[in-house]
Amino acid sequence: MGVRFLVLVVLSVTLMVVDARFTLLKPVRSQMSLVLMQSYWITDLPQRLWQGVASQFGSRTELVAENEKLKTENLLLQGRMQKLAALTEQNVRLRELLNSSALVNEKVEVAELIGMDPNPFTHRIIINKGERDGVVLGQPVLDARGLMGQVVELMPYTSRVLLLTDTTHSIPVQVNRNGLRAIASGTGNPESLELRHVADTADIKVGDLLVSSGLGQRFPAGYPVATVKEVIHDSGQPFAIVRAVPTAALNRSRYLLLVFSDSRTPEERANDAAKAQQAEQNGEAPSIVPATVPKPAAPVAAPAPAPAPVVAPSVAPVAAKPASAKAPAAKAPAAKPPSATPAAARPPAAVPATTRERQ
Amino acid sequence: MASTRSSNSWLIWLTFAIGLLLSISPMPQFMEILRPLWLALLLAFWALYMPHKVGMLTAFCLGLAEDVLYGTLLGQNALTLTLITFLVLSLQQRLRVFPMWQQSLVILVIFGLAQLAQLWLSALTGNRQPTLALILPALVSALLWLWISYGLRGLCRRFKIN
Repeated sequence: MGVRFLVLVVLSVTLMVVDARFTLLKPVRSQMSLVLMQSYWITDLPQRLWQGVASQFGSRTELVAENEKLKTENLLLQGRMQKLAALTEQNVRLRELLNSSALVNEKVEVAELIGMDPNPFTHRIIINKGERDGVVLGQPVLDARGLMGQVVELMPYTSRVLLLTDTTHSIPVQVNRNGLRAIASGTGNPESLELRHVADTADIKVGDLLVSSGLGQRFPAGYPVATVKEVIHDSGQPFAIVRAVPTAALNRSRYLLLVFSDSRTPEERANDAAKAQQAEQNGEAPSIVPATVPKPAAPVAAPAPAPAPVVAPSVAPVAAKPASAKAPAAKAPAAKPPSATPAAARPPAAVPATTRERQ
Repeated sequence: MASTRSSNSWLIWLTFAIGLLLSISPMPQFMEILRPLWLALLLAFWALYMPHKVGMLTAFCLGLAEDVLYGTLLGQNALTLTLITFLVLSLQQRLRVFPMWQQSLVILVIFGLAQLAQLWLSALTGNRQPTLALILPALVSALLWLWISYGLRGLCRRFKIN
């Protein structure tokens, strides 16, 4: 018995080391998760059923009221959109004048939360989109109000998302008011982020909106991250203590948006746009979607050819995108080098680029 | 584990499946740190009363499953579950004649050791967790041991698992 114990201990230690250092065990893990991740779905079932029943028996007045509310909200958003169209147009023109790269629309896809990590000391969630849906490692995840986190583990049909407030997570941010850069680290409290190493004299006030700066090359620039809750100037401390509340409902949102950001360089993008235009002139179908592109039944915006005057309606689902993003969005590509999966997930305009890369 | 004379040994696996589900089922935030170690409890019980059916290899496989579910390094939970099963198996002769409260004390000590190993492993992988809070699941599991072993023994008698 002792021998067997020893063998198993050595085996598990070896497994741990191999899993931590090499990618050898990734296929094994993804095969196992194919079966095991169903259990998250099963544990989520009661809530799903409850929701189903509740929506079946929701009274008519409630539904009418909800419909009314949604209509008003829709009207408001549409109104804001009109302004956004003009602003985007203006922004593009100004950027052209400045000869700097244009803002890019990121493609988004809707995912649903199916489970929370059982470990109370980590903030991770499990979503129902995985490698087969074109999700890539490090992909940013939003909800309707702001950034939530990034994908840290890929499984075939599910993936694990590390939330902003996990103690191991930090995100480069910018004060929306004046562009002051900082790093927001998670504290382990779902309602609080901490800004590290902010000088005592820095211009940061309670109520400031922090947006992602895109400097870490992982998150796209300009998405709201948090609002500053308190700024404490303690003369005994070398830095100011700044605490912020995430704008996203980290422990309440059920529907999330996965952002597919564009990892091409400006020249590549220009080339692609030119090619796309040529293709259109030649009378080909404007969207040459390869068969491998996953087409989920989500309200995904039609991707626009990048540097051409931006088609406003295509920004529609990204309600959280402020028009005043300061950092050039084009400099915030996904951190991963382009592989087959992100290529398939890109807008169709990207297709010629990838084929050219392969040549 | 190899001999399957009884037709009802699938029930053991059913309890393990339920244990896996329980170990990931959503709970209110304040109860998360009290989540009992369901798989460890079930393994301890079956290793105590059916050592010919459930051994360290079972524990290892279940641990791997838990690792995949929790997203920890492959082998981390496998190691702690194997450790628990090993300790239970080596104390088995004595544990079986102990009265209930004494059994749950021993279970508390064993689970506490396993949680300590878990703490070291997770500290090695970089996410340090608050130390004393890790004892709480062991405590809750020890308190649950009474009901678990009552219930499972009833199950054994009812379905004649042996």
